[in-house]
Amino acid sequence: MQKSFKITILTIAIGVFSGCVPAPTPQIGIGIGGAIGQNSQNTPVIQTPQPIKEVEVDKEYGAKPLNYVTSIRSYFTTKIARGNLSTYKYGEPKRAYKRKGFAYGGDIAWKGWLVETSIATPTKTGRMLTPKPYMVLFSGEQIVEHILGYNHKLIVKVDK
Amino acid sequence: MANFNTHFMVASGASAVVSGTLLSMEVVSPQEAVIAFLLGVFGGLLPDIDSARSTSIKVGFNVFSLLITAMIVFIKSSTYSLIEMFIVAGLVFGGIRFVFLDVFRKISKHRGMFHSIPVAFIFGIIVSILMQYFFELNSQVSWVYGFMITTGYFVHLILDEIYSVDLQNKRMKKSAGTAMKFGKFKTTKDKIQTILIYASIPLLMTIAPDTTLIENALFSNDAWLIFKDALLPTDGKWFFH
Repeated sequence: MQKSFKITILTIAIGVFSGCVPAPTPQIGIGIGGAIGQNSQNTPVIQTPQPIKEVEVDKEYGAKPLNYVTSIRSYFTTKIARGNLSTYKYGEPKRAYKRKGFAYGGDIAWKGWLVETSIATPTKTGRMLTPKPYMVLFSGEQIVEHILGYNHKLIVKVDK
Repeated sequence: MANFNTHFMVASGASAVVSGTLLSMEVVSPQEAVIAFLLGVFGGLLPDIDSARSTSIKVGFNVFSLLITAMIVFIKSSTYSLIEMFIVAGLVFGGIRFVFLDVFRKISKHRGMFHSIPVAFIFGIIVSILMQYFFELNSQVSWVYGFMITTGYFVHLILDEIYSVDLQNKRMKKSAGTAMKFGKFKTTKDKIQTILIYASIPLLMTIAPDTTLIENALFSNDAWLIFKDALLPTDGKWFFH
């Protein structure tokens, strides 16, 4: 058998068998909130569609983070001692920028969204401490870094 | 007056205790504690840099010139070629280590205002400012480093005062009271110098990092409770946890 003939047969075979892979069954739904009749044992409940959060995109500062609460919580779990046992409070994202330290040139290092977060962590003995302030810097949904305190000489908060 | 080795040993011991305490109180991370320790030792040698022939002035200026040279190399590494960086680094190092040192030796007077309490605070504030503006450190760590410099500085001043007591002859040496002083008030020049030093403290504080975090970390009720927790074994067992 010629080589080209073998390749053709193999390609057809792959095509045929990949067509046999079960595809997800089409579901009848009304949009957000899942399909009606998906779970036959449950009484179908028509859920009112949740308003889709519009992503606020700033030309200079990028997209405003929407899932910052979840992101911050999971980020600090590994960044601070007993982060998983801590209680968190979050502010609204603010536009901000940060300069590099003068030792590194002093240019603008980051422009994005800053979320002021206060975290109360327990001590080794379990005593809950006064919450500590943190600034969490975002580029879109991505956390770039965190800084202890609500003030830093190299950070400028554009939104007050 | 204590010699260089005594100052070095005592400053190292005191600095180890303070930085170790800050580490166990979770004010600093292990890496930050090491830097805090080194700064404490450096602070303990700093007051003698006004002594023209002391080892401190050599060590201090070597460290300072190396630091500034390294900083300039970092800043210019993306724009300068290796040869340019080499030339600039050499000029900066030589300029500080020899020219500036020579000028400094001529204008400074040993046991002048460098051996005084306000200057200990000024060095601490300057270090905390540099840490935030130059190395982007947060306010708490910047102030911890400044605090370590001031602590080391105080250890030096106290040690000098202790050495001004002659225990065998049971008398005070001539140097008593010249190390740990609030200022010099003999001549008009001394008074102006003292006023300028005191006036510079609030001015420096206007550009210094926020102090709220360090106040909470070291001087609050929380800090005291954390210290108590860290002081003794919480489970009552000694060494076998």
